[in-house]
Amino acid sequence: MKLLIVEDEKELAASIASYLKNENYTCEVASNFKQALDKIETSDYECIALDITIPGGSGMQLLKELKNNKKTDGVIIISAKNSIDDRISALRLGADDYLVKPFHLSELAARINAIIRRKMHNGNNIIRFNEIIIDTLAKEVMVRKEPVELTRREYELLVYFLSNQRRVISKNALISHLWNQEMGAGESADIIYTHIKNLRKKLHEKGCGDYIKSLYGMGYKLTDQ
Amino acid sequence: MKLQAQYNKISIASSVLVLLIAGAGYYFLLNYVLKDQLDETLRVEQAEIQDFIQTNHSLPPATTYKDQRIEFKKSDKAIPQNFRTLTLYNAEEKENELSRQLDFPVEVNGQYYIASVTKSQEDTEKIIAVILLVTLGLIVLLSMLLFFANRFLVKRLWKPFQTTLNSIKNFDLNAPSAIKTEKTVIYEFNDLNENISMMTEKVVKDYLSLKHFIDHASHEIQTPLAVVNSKLDVLIQDPGLNEKNLQDLQAIYDAVDKMSKLSQSLLLLARIENNQFSEKQEVNIHAIAKNIIQELDEWIGEKSLTVNNEISELNVNMNSQLANTLVANLIINAIKHSGRKETIELQSCKNTFTISNPGTQALDGEKIFDRFWKSEYSDGTGLGLAIAKQICDHYVFLLQYEFRAGMHYFSILF
Repeated sequence: MKLLIVEDEKELAASIASYLKNENYTCEVASNFKQALDKIETSDYECIALDITIPGGSGMQLLKELKNNKKTDGVIIISAKNSIDDRISALRLGADDYLVKPFHLSELAARINAIIRRKMHNGNNIIRFNEIIIDTLAKEVMVRKEPVELTRREYELLVYFLSNQRRVISKNALISHLWNQEMGAGESADIIYTHIKNLRKKLHEKGCGDYIKSLYGMGYKLTDQ
Repeated sequence: MKLQAQYNKISIASSVLVLLIAGAGYYFLLNYVLKDQLDETLRVEQAEIQDFIQTNHSLPPATTYKDQRIEFKKSDKAIPQNFRTLTLYNAEEKENELSRQLDFPVEVNGQYYIASVTKSQEDTEKIIAVILLVTLGLIVLLSMLLFFANRFLVKRLWKPFQTTLNSIKNFDLNAPSAIKTEKTVIYEFNDLNENISMMTEKVVKDYLSLKHFIDHASHEIQTPLAVVNSKLDVLIQDPGLNEKNLQDLQAIYDAVDKMSKLSQSLLLLARIENNQFSEKQEVNIHAIAKNIIQELDEWIGEKSLTVNNEISELNVNMNSQLANTLVANLIINAIKHSGRKETIELQSCKNTFTISNPGTQALDGEKIFDRFWKSEYSDGTGLGLAIAKQICDHYVFLLQYEFRAGMHYFSILF
């Protein structure tokens, strides 16, 4: 599957590409309007991460081009602009999601995964990790064909982990994913810890392997290695 | 005191004073001149009497004619000539009259007489009275004239000033319109208008550029922050990191988070100031508070707090995003500054929303809503309450802080 990153800040584009690149995805980078236009005209992408302010044009124009050419590429806007108006106009032009800078790469990965899942019409609303199966449409988690009862937060956490398999996710990324950064960092760190502890316990009770590893409490990783 | 009243006071007082002094001067001068003239008449009479005696060697007959009277009295010696003023009874007019009398010696056939020529001063008095009356009349007339002239003329003269002043009073930096001035021939007012126009233009320009500066600065910070964040996200994938490295990275993460929150908050403040939340609708404060409390459920549970949402139906016409931010900031503030197992109360009464939490001492009510003001226990950005205040100011709601009986109260009068 191919992803395109349209971002003029080269270092940011490089980080995104190196994070998203794995066995399933290949990443291409365009750093200006013309490059991006060439790429979207010549090939199809599963998802495009699109900055609005790029040299030589606007991300919005690219969105229009995609629509005019009846392309079905998924699009997630990555922008420093955070107003409701910007979001609405981007979504109206056919963007699938809108992520405000600065963001965590794990958040971008989770959202791109979600877009790709939605785009697939063959009912691909299933995420898998070994014996864990999540049906994102029904919001159900199965381990060894047995349902696991999770709270909303625990479910969100598990989906997030499965969208970032085998990668370290920082505690801060988890906090901002769950709470929109409203709370003080100190308070929410303990709550994250509690949620993860409960999640591990519930999965373990159903005979699931202990895949969530903690890195001295500052980050977590879903891995079977 | 109004400038006009002050001006009236001075101009009327000084003209009355000048007229009074002039009146008194007039009186004394006229009195002197008229008396001198009267004395001259008496001297002419004296000369006539002396001529008569010289020619006839006898006294002329004593007469009383109109206001003039001539008398002779025997005397054993020649008295010196003497002018005097005295009150005499006028039988004709049946009243006492001031008179001027000249006594002088005459000698007829070796016999001395005192001749007295008396003339009534009544006419002089009348003239003086008339003059005083005229003067008094003038004072009254002039005062009235001055008063009304000042009232109308000065009012008209100051009209351009009033126009400018009203325009300044209605001036609002958030909705600046040019200062309205009136063309006038008066140099000072034109000068004033010109300078005020220049000043307001500059203020508006500076204010706009300051607002845009915050807007731009906050925007421009987002991209470098995104780079830092993404590099950190990539960096922590490195399996070679030890605990110390990860702790340092955590500190960087926290600092980036805080910076990002700060610039987002500043951007929000700038946007409210720039009127970028014009969309309005009926929002239900109870429902908003309920949602927020639910969202913060784990945090509340973690601190074993009790949050009582006793808001009755309270609908406010405002931007729903701002309503959310307003209520959330107040609730987060209360949670943050509550100790374990304490109770936070949300109440409403008519158009008032109140949130309270226990505290040990009053906060500085003057500074609590200032940007970047923080109590010593706070680790936040110091912008939460400032944003709440800004939102309230934007809608002209009254946000107040009070400390009563060991409780912090924040209330909004919608």
